[in-house]
Amino acid sequence: MPQARFNDPVRARGLAKLFGTVRAVSSIDLELAPGEALGLLGPNGAGKSTTLSMLTGLRAPDAGEVLIFGHRAGSPQARALTGATPQLVGFPDQLSPREILGYAAARYRVRARTDKLAACFGLERLIDRRVAGFSGGEMRRLALALAFVGGPRLVFLDEPTTGLDGAAQEGFQEVARDFVAKGGSLVLTSHHWDEIEAVCDSITLVDRGETVLEGRIGDIRKRANVSRLTFSLPPATVPPGWMHAVHDGARWHSESADSDGMLRRMVHEALPFQGLAVAPLDLKDLIDRIRREETGP
Amino acid sequence: MTGPLRAECALTFRTLGRLPGFWVPTVLFPAMLYAFFGAQGAEEWAANAMASFAVYAVLGVGFFQFGVSVAQDRESPFAKWQQTLPCHAGNQWIAGVLASLVFVTVAVALVVALAFALDRVEVGAAALLRLSLVCLIASFTATFMGIALGSLASARAAVPLANLIFLPLAYLGGLWVPPMALPSAVNVVSQWTPTRAMGELGWAAIAGTRWDPGYLAVLAGWTVISVAVVVVAQARHRRYE
Repeated sequence: MPQARFNDPVRARGLAKLFGTVRAVSSIDLELAPGEALGLLGPNGAGKSTTLSMLTGLRAPDAGEVLIFGHRAGSPQARALTGATPQLVGFPDQLSPREILGYAAARYRVRARTDKLAACFGLERLIDRRVAGFSGGEMRRLALALAFVGGPRLVFLDEPTTGLDGAAQEGFQEVARDFVAKGGSLVLTSHHWDEIEAVCDSITLVDRGETVLEGRIGDIRKRANVSRLTFSLPPATVPPGWMHAVHDGARWHSESADSDGMLRRMVHEALPFQGLAVAPLDLKDLIDRIRREETGP
Repeated sequence: MTGPLRAECALTFRTLGRLPGFWVPTVLFPAMLYAFFGAQGAEEWAANAMASFAVYAVLGVGFFQFGVSVAQDRESPFAKWQQTLPCHAGNQWIAGVLASLVFVTVAVALVVALAFALDRVEVGAAALLRLSLVCLIASFTATFMGIALGSLASARAAVPLANLIFLPLAYLGGLWVPPMALPSAVNVVSQWTPTRAMGELGWAAIAGTRWDPGYLAVLAGWTVISVAVVVVAQARHRRYE
């Protein structure tokens, strides 16, 4: 990871937050450079939302500090440079997307590029309708447009594509990649691993309120260059023990850091495999494997 | 007016203006209740009844606009998101106060217009001007009482709780029935209510008599108590956030 500079988009060290006696977040570190996209991952209740609320300045950390472009999180300077998705509940029902986008743009003191945003997020036909009758996916698209309306240099997107159909998800990923390519920075929480891989350069995995893994996705892949071999065998045939293969009911799977070597040995031992496929391990499986190796069995 | 403030005002007016559940009870009810009850009373109390329902309108806006919105905003994710936007949150309060002034003005004007339309009152411009001043003073107290209520109540409880306090206070203060008609025990309590103080100032405005400093003190007292409640309740909310 490149050395973080003082005025980087996000610089958070040792964040901790207590709710009463419950430790929601105990030790979170985050760093994000300009033109980078970071995926914030973790199981439910891991502290992702609490972390995001400290990054946006909605909650003050009990320990540690967050700097947004060198400004305290939640300070006027930080807020002027950042955009965030609102949660989908509690929108003022009586307003239309055009009115809400116009409102948000005015708070950033910019002219609302309503038509462009509507086109990016598929809101054209909804733009003058009142939010009251919107579906979950339509609200989500408005929420995404609101994160970008102020021309921010850093956006926080909380579960941006939950409830979106395939076309809308791809549309969003295109906008997000374009934003990052033009020097914008992005923090994204998501349960879709493929989306994180499609948009983000690096990830931070949190669990029980702590950063347990961080790094660039490319580095993580290099560090654990593991592939998965998937194949079928005739009935009553089992793979040799050295392959540590598992059967999922239909096909056999085996993971290996040296897939070529494994394949050679399979051929050498004349294993009657059929329909062999070799693919790099999914990010999710890769991370599971790294964590298993780090924490032991 | 700056762009952000104008946007804040537009948001507030659109939201409240498109919410009949807000403006029917606060803006239309005072005039309607005046027609039902106030305008039916004795001839010599007619002008005072107009003042009573004008004050009643002021209290309603304070309770239902600020009381309910403060309670709802505390729990609303949209209000939380607004805090992540640039520009000072003070604009939201200014917009709220401007909106409440507009709603109060319309509500009071409807009561006064109805009183004149029904040919019940003969009061001069000076008396109406004094009554407007009383409404302005009363809206100060009413707003802080509303914010105090909103700081204590949950979003779900805010509307019923506002009704539960607002309606008895209006009765106790002698706004619905003239204070002379209140049972003597009630009248003792009445002296300490903010509604009675607002009413007394309103009636004095109509009569052109001196404002009783005692009632001004009662209003000031309720304002101070409300501000104290707001400060304590908000500090508590912040601690548990």
